[in-house]
Amino acid sequence: MKGLLIKDLKLMKNMRNTLIIIAIVALGMSFYTSDMSFIVVYLAVISTSFTSSTINYDEFENGNAFLFSLPVSRRDYAVEKHLFSLLMCGGGWLAGSVLTVCGGVFRDGLDPAESVMAALVLLPVAIGLSSFMIPVHLKYSGEKGRIVMIILMGGVFLIVVSGAKIAEKLGIDFRELGERMPVMSDGMGLAAALGISLALLLVSCKVSIRIMEHKEF
Amino acid sequence: MLRIENLQKNYGAFRLDCSMEVLSGQVTGLVGQNGAGKSTTFKAALGLVRPDGGKIEILGKDSGQFGAGDRQELGVVLSNAGFSGYLTVRDIIPVLGSLYARFDKAFFLEQVKRFGLPDNQKIKEFSTGMKAKLKVLTAISHRARLLILDEPTAGLDVVARDELLELLRVFMEQDDNRGILVSSHISGDLETLCDDIYMIHQGKIILHEDTDVLLDNYAVLKMDEREYETIEKRYILCSRKESFGYSCLTNQKRFYRENYPKLAVLKGSIDEVIMMMIKGERL
Repeated sequence: MKGLLIKDLKLMKNMRNTLIIIAIVALGMSFYTSDMSFIVVYLAVISTSFTSSTINYDEFENGNAFLFSLPVSRRDYAVEKHLFSLLMCGGGWLAGSVLTVCGGVFRDGLDPAESVMAALVLLPVAIGLSSFMIPVHLKYSGEKGRIVMIILMGGVFLIVVSGAKIAEKLGIDFRELGERMPVMSDGMGLAAALGISLALLLVSCKVSIRIMEHKEF
Repeated sequence: MLRIENLQKNYGAFRLDCSMEVLSGQVTGLVGQNGAGKSTTFKAALGLVRPDGGKIEILGKDSGQFGAGDRQELGVVLSNAGFSGYLTVRDIIPVLGSLYARFDKAFFLEQVKRFGLPDNQKIKEFSTGMKAKLKVLTAISHRARLLILDEPTAGLDVVARDELLELLRVFMEQDDNRGILVSSHISGDLETLCDDIYMIHQGKIILHEDTDVLLDNYAVLKMDEREYETIEKRYILCSRKESFGYSCLTNQKRFYRENYPKLAVLKGSIDEVIMMMIKGERL
């Protein structure tokens, strides 16, 4: 596992120019937008996408066949990709959060606790997105993976919109439902969201292990 | 060290059905044309493809039970795969150090220097020969017991090939309990390195012989049609119609030398034997 993580971190060197551009764009955005949450999500999601790039690098010139002739199990590989994704997502989220908190405190004069909470709320979103991405990229390599990802995203969007429309026609008011639910503190809500996103990551990991175990190289 | 019994794998019209064994202290060669089933056999032994039937035992374990930890004992070269081309030699050292408990960094660095491999250049920018050298060095730098080498000398010049073969000989001399399974298109490599050779054609093993026996006892006999009609065919494995008459492959060179002194008897090289076994007609 450690060897795989080192390999992926070494592969990241090839993406340093992309990293610099992302950092510049995020900094630029922080000066011109008041919606700092976008920067947090932007950095976290973009950083997570580096995991997909390392999957592509591994597949380059049939590299996976060689990788699995080393003391690396397919299970280790899938787990490591999730760990790496979590590291990248966490790193991107942290960088975005620092920008958000600094921007909130020094530019907009916000309470630091409020800014930190705003940043924390976005962490489960980023983790949830990354858990969605890895199995797709492991199952469908390269260009095919990107196409499947776009279709899946579109599908999720369609389901949500259609669900809302149907609920509206049936007279279901989600706001009213929310108000009827037992009162939950911000902290508890955040913990629940984080728990759900980590559970999603776990499911993604299990699915990825199954995908890898069925692959031939 | 490695026992393959009736390994079966089907890819469309291609059907692999092969049995072979690599013994401790021996170097076993696998030869055959492109698409004969060499790489599929290697991949099945390594668990990279799922066999449709048969049994593979590797270092005393069933291939299904042979896990990642057991692969510490293996050194592998695959003909069309290696570390990501976006890494450098310097990048892969800590990776190998973390993956292999017995990675010999000093030896690896010494050999990298000896073979003139740039340590800070992306592998994808290496020449074919440089890539081949790196693959072999990676396979022999962690004191493995069994090496599985698919075309390890492909793309190397004569001098580099000789140096790498010498490395493999030294690897074998260091420990009697080591073994190598190697495939190559260059039969000269196998003649000087292997103790025994399997020949594979259209997914089937068509010949297995000790290299010494193959080189000493096998021969190609050249004769006209009249000689072919009268010659003793008991020791002829296969024959082939030629413009001048017939070429026949025998595994009893001495018999024909002694009993047919006028017959043209050509020393059997691996290439000759492959050609005859594949293109000749079995008697």
